[in-house]
Amino acid sequence: MITQESFSFYIMLSVLAPIIGAFSLLFLFLFEKRLDQLEKEKNELLLEQELQEAKYNQLNQQIQPHFFFNTLNVILSLARLNRKEELISAIEVLSKYFKFKYKQTDPLITMEEEIQYTRYYLDIQRLRFRDRLDVVWSVEESCKSSLVPPYLLQTVVENAFKHGLEKNPGQGKLIIILNEQRNKVYLEVWNSSSTALEALDVQKEDRGIGLHNIQKRLQMLFPKEEILIQLNEEAKGTSVQIFWPHMTKEDTIT
Amino acid sequence: MKPRSYREYIQGTITFGVAYGVVSLLARWVTGNTILSSPETLVKYGLLGGIGYAMMGAIALFLFGWITPYIRERFPNSTTLGDVLKERLRGRSYWFVMWVLLLTSLDSLLIQALGAGVLFHFLLKTPIYVGLLVFFLYCFLLSIGGMKQIHRFEGIHISFIFAAIILIPVYFFIQKGIFPVYDGLLLYHPYLLFLKHNEITLFILTALLIGFGQVLIDRASWQRIYIIEKSKVRTSFMMAGIIWATIPLAFTAIVLIAVYGQGFENIYSILSQLVEKIDSLFLLLLFIGCCFSAIASTVGAELHATSIMVIRNMLNHKYDWSEDQQLKKTYLVSVLLSLSLFLISSILSPNLMELIFFFAQVYAAIIPTMLVVIFYKRMIPMLVPYCSLIGLGTGLLSLLSYNSIQSTWISFFVSSGLVVILLVVNEIRIYSK
Repeated sequence: MITQESFSFYIMLSVLAPIIGAFSLLFLFLFEKRLDQLEKEKNELLLEQELQEAKYNQLNQQIQPHFFFNTLNVILSLARLNRKEELISAIEVLSKYFKFKYKQTDPLITMEEEIQYTRYYLDIQRLRFRDRLDVVWSVEESCKSSLVPPYLLQTVVENAFKHGLEKNPGQGKLIIILNEQRNKVYLEVWNSSSTALEALDVQKEDRGIGLHNIQKRLQMLFPKEEILIQLNEEAKGTSVQIFWPHMTKEDTIT
Repeated sequence: MKPRSYREYIQGTITFGVAYGVVSLLARWVTGNTILSSPETLVKYGLLGGIGYAMMGAIALFLFGWITPYIRERFPNSTTLGDVLKERLRGRSYWFVMWVLLLTSLDSLLIQALGAGVLFHFLLKTPIYVGLLVFFLYCFLLSIGGMKQIHRFEGIHISFIFAAIILIPVYFFIQKGIFPVYDGLLLYHPYLLFLKHNEITLFILTALLIGFGQVLIDRASWQRIYIIEKSKVRTSFMMAGIIWATIPLAFTAIVLIAVYGQGFENIYSILSQLVEKIDSLFLLLLFIGCCFSAIASTVGAELHATSIMVIRNMLNHKYDWSEDQQLKKTYLVSVLLSLSLFLISSILSPNLMELIFFFAQVYAAIIPTMLVVIFYKRMIPMLVPYCSLIGLGTGLLSLLSYNSIQSTWISFFVSSGLVVILLVVNEIRIYSK
């Protein structure tokens, strides 16, 4: 036998149920379009993210053949000059470089790893330049943990060789400065090559592609931050300065 | 406005989202049965029976909703149930199932028509044929405008239904209070307050089986699978199931209001008692509008779906008419169906429950065949639909010594068993080759 309380509950259920049903229907009518719009926006955002990721990976991929063929040309030159010992160490360095690189598949690496890459590259270049090349490193310890897209430093250094040091006979100097300034990382790569005024525009355009590539990748990483990239051509040398926010692995986790 | 093409007549011009999909499904499934079966269930099985009846409708729509994305995925080019059957069945087995569908369609329409007759007679106190004439004229006009026209009126119908089932119980229970109703029931109908657990479980399960069978071969529901957006079809059916459940539940509360202070002659007289109890003209008009909407929206949708089935999936296979001709013949079938239903419901008054329970065995027996049509990957053996026929025959014969609930289960188990055996034999034959 149903008690008075259970009966009250039954009536309450019977009276409330259609009200809830009608409200659900009303809710659907009022908010379905908005929910659809949100869903659409979410999908568009995901698509945009995927596109950015694909673009980012594409940009990374663009750099690899550039560096690889340049290095092969260095090795080829060594072979042609019959500098066997240097050729062996060049291949060894290149092998170390690729071993290191293919183990690493992250879209971001620490500056320390990037410096290691660049050192391998410089080792190869040193084989060509021998005593003509003087490299000065000035790296602040706190910058080593900073996250950067791969090949950032290496591309700037490679540009210094391609457009500066390789074109000027005689002694060449390369200064790499890395420090932290107001929670931003400051990178400067200076090389002791002066550029003739008439060649300046052509070189600027050519260098611009590599630097533009770096700017795009940094901008993807820090879409809301200002990224500063500057190229200074002076009589005594050429420098590239880059500013970007200091971000560590801990920051990405939080 | 006349539809521009036959496809537009079948599907309308827009694709439904969840909200319109739910309204469309509710318009189809809130029927005369929902209004008339609620008092019946309440009287037979008590208050728990009322909840059980609401639950079974929700679960049946829920189950069907679960498989609808699969149906849409597997038969992307269909628009009706007949199209799917044509794709899956061959020769006589196709025609057999089509005839079963036609029979159940006519049965469903007839039940609605008789329900309409009963309701108008008790509610308006007018001669049955006057109310029915207006009703069928309305339904016919609804149906010939195509899906667009049906959809245009669905919103109004559902608004009427919800307004009535919300306002009437709230008005009465605020006015009288719950305890006087309880005391009245204790005095006049104490059997309503008893819990009959054993009977209820079997009743709910049987109602679920019949409900699932009904949805599975419902032409109008299959049409709506292809009208609702593909990604929203499952949600729409499930939401419709949940919201549908609230309606019979509210009707049981309305019935309690009608009977708590007096006895009643039969189930249908409860309605006239209720009309006497509703002293507000506004609420009375709302209740009449609710009953009219519930039955008219169902008959409109059924008339539309059945006439399409007769022309597109039955006669057109023989005569191969052009689209324009198909549209004209569909109108003709609609007229004929409306007219015959009007005449039958005006002249005859068979027992409504008998009709519902006669077809319970059909709905239970056809389930295995429909599941094979939807899920079986290979070509369907010709004999599968006949398993349902044997199941139905066995079920009807068993009525001699069992009650209708038991015979419904016999129909289901016999046809399922035969279908399973047939499919196993088919698989063995294919592997041995």
